[in-house]
Amino acid sequence: MHPYFWREAWRSFRAHRGLAMTSMLSLIASLTLCGLFVLLDHNARQALRAIGDRREMIVYLKDEIPETELAVLMDKVRQYFGEPTYVDRKQAWQELSDQIGDPDLLSGVEDNPLPASIRVRLKPELLGFAAMEQAAQQVLEFPEVEDVRYGAEYVRRLDRFSGGVRLATWAVGAVVALAMALVLFNTLRLTVLARRHQVEVMLRLGASDRFIATPYVYEAMMHMTLAAVISLLLVFALQQVVAYRLDGVTFLPWTTSLAFIGGALAVAWVASAGALSRILRNIGS
Amino acid sequence: MIAFEHVTKRYGERLALDDVTWRMDEGECAVLLGHSAAGKTTMLRLIMHETQPTSGVVTVGTFRGGRLTRAHRALLRRTIGVIYEDFRLLPDRTVYENVALSMYIAGHYTDAEVTPKVRRALEEAGLDAHRDLLPAELSFGERQRCAIARAIVMRPALILADEPTGALEPKSAAEVLSLLLRIQREGAALLVGTTRAEVANVIGGRRYVLEEGALREVTPGASPVPAPSPPRAAAASGDAPMPQSPDLFTPPATGGA
Repeated sequence: MHPYFWREAWRSFRAHRGLAMTSMLSLIASLTLCGLFVLLDHNARQALRAIGDRREMIVYLKDEIPETELAVLMDKVRQYFGEPTYVDRKQAWQELSDQIGDPDLLSGVEDNPLPASIRVRLKPELLGFAAMEQAAQQVLEFPEVEDVRYGAEYVRRLDRFSGGVRLATWAVGAVVALAMALVLFNTLRLTVLARRHQVEVMLRLGASDRFIATPYVYEAMMHMTLAAVISLLLVFALQQVVAYRLDGVTFLPWTTSLAFIGGALAVAWVASAGALSRILRNIGS
Repeated sequence: MIAFEHVTKRYGERLALDDVTWRMDEGECAVLLGHSAAGKTTMLRLIMHETQPTSGVVTVGTFRGGRLTRAHRALLRRTIGVIYEDFRLLPDRTVYENVALSMYIAGHYTDAEVTPKVRRALEEAGLDAHRDLLPAELSFGERQRCAIARAIVMRPALILADEPTGALEPKSAAEVLSLLLRIQREGAALLVGTTRAEVANVIGGRRYVLEEGALREVTPGASPVPAPSPPRAAAASGDAPMPQSPDLFTPPATGGA
């Protein structure tokens, strides 16, 4: 990267301060909106992960399974589905008693009707609704298994919500990227038209389109970097306000923040390079 | 180096060049004479590939005819130094930056390599002392010398000058022509388009007259410039002939500014 291009970009940035400010304000508004959705998605995912951690499959066993067969079943479940915890009938009764709290309510029950079970903390790849359903079907195939429960409807709704948030984030991201590309296109068009005489002279001196465009692309990157940093600061400020009132709302991890800036710069680069190629072609030969 | 083969150029109904066949070799010096709108600038623009012939083929070096891609056009123009009547300097750049621009466009030069070459070109043009000034702070003659410095800084094999003294008073015109001749003597081919026979007398070399779109070679001493251009056109285009002066076009003894 020749310093000439940076000098030119800085010169243009200073020469067209008003245009630069207008462009950056538009970019900040777009990026802040996008940042808010990224923050929402991040916190929704965190919440879902916390809920997802509590997702488990309960495998009810038939009566009187020999210990050897139980051990084999536990091994298979561990191998294919997740971490199993065996709960015998007595333990299950005790847990029920603890949940109900009032021993008188259960005094009428003479024999323990509860079956022994295996609670399975599923592997991460089995936490989706479809995977859980398939896993449940497979577990039911074991001869020692009486029934399997995993809260199918709850899992389905959770998945749908999670997918909805993600889709909304992508949709907003796409709209914002388009808006940013339009802002950059118009800013660059106005900047280049303001310097049309310079561009024409450079073309006659043998400058390639790339040579002419590079400083403007750098300038667009400068606009975008500043706008992305400022919008992240705004999103951070908002997160702080919300976190003051609502526990558990966290800011984006630094990797996501860097990816946010990187994504914005990528949009700036593609949009400005594409726009300039079109604008320069219109200026002529 | 440059070859026109049966080149015709029309602008709508108006015929600018009519079946022109002409060539110019490396290191040669030539002058295109003709009244305003005779087709001189059209020939220079065809060489620069700023426009395309209506028919015929223009070859410049290895770039032969047809519509070149933008990248090839840029490459061609980098091998030519061009001097315009209206200078075409960038008003917000200093003299140094205007000249350095040609080198940055050529590419592959670091700032450390650019500086000595630009300074040398400015010294040749007698402008080194003015290198930090903006074009608006220079006289017309100095602006034209700045444009010449920009054209020669890359030591091109071909220099095109379109009415290089058009906007200059006699003393500046003489200095500019002296500078162009010095560069040509170093080996560059020089093609000058002008309305003025005096310029052709100073430049020397082969002399061509453009009239009604046709190009013909004339010998020095013959009355080269055809029927005077209509006063209306000359006045409108600002190409009215320069007033004669006894010391006009006499290269200064110092050979510089």
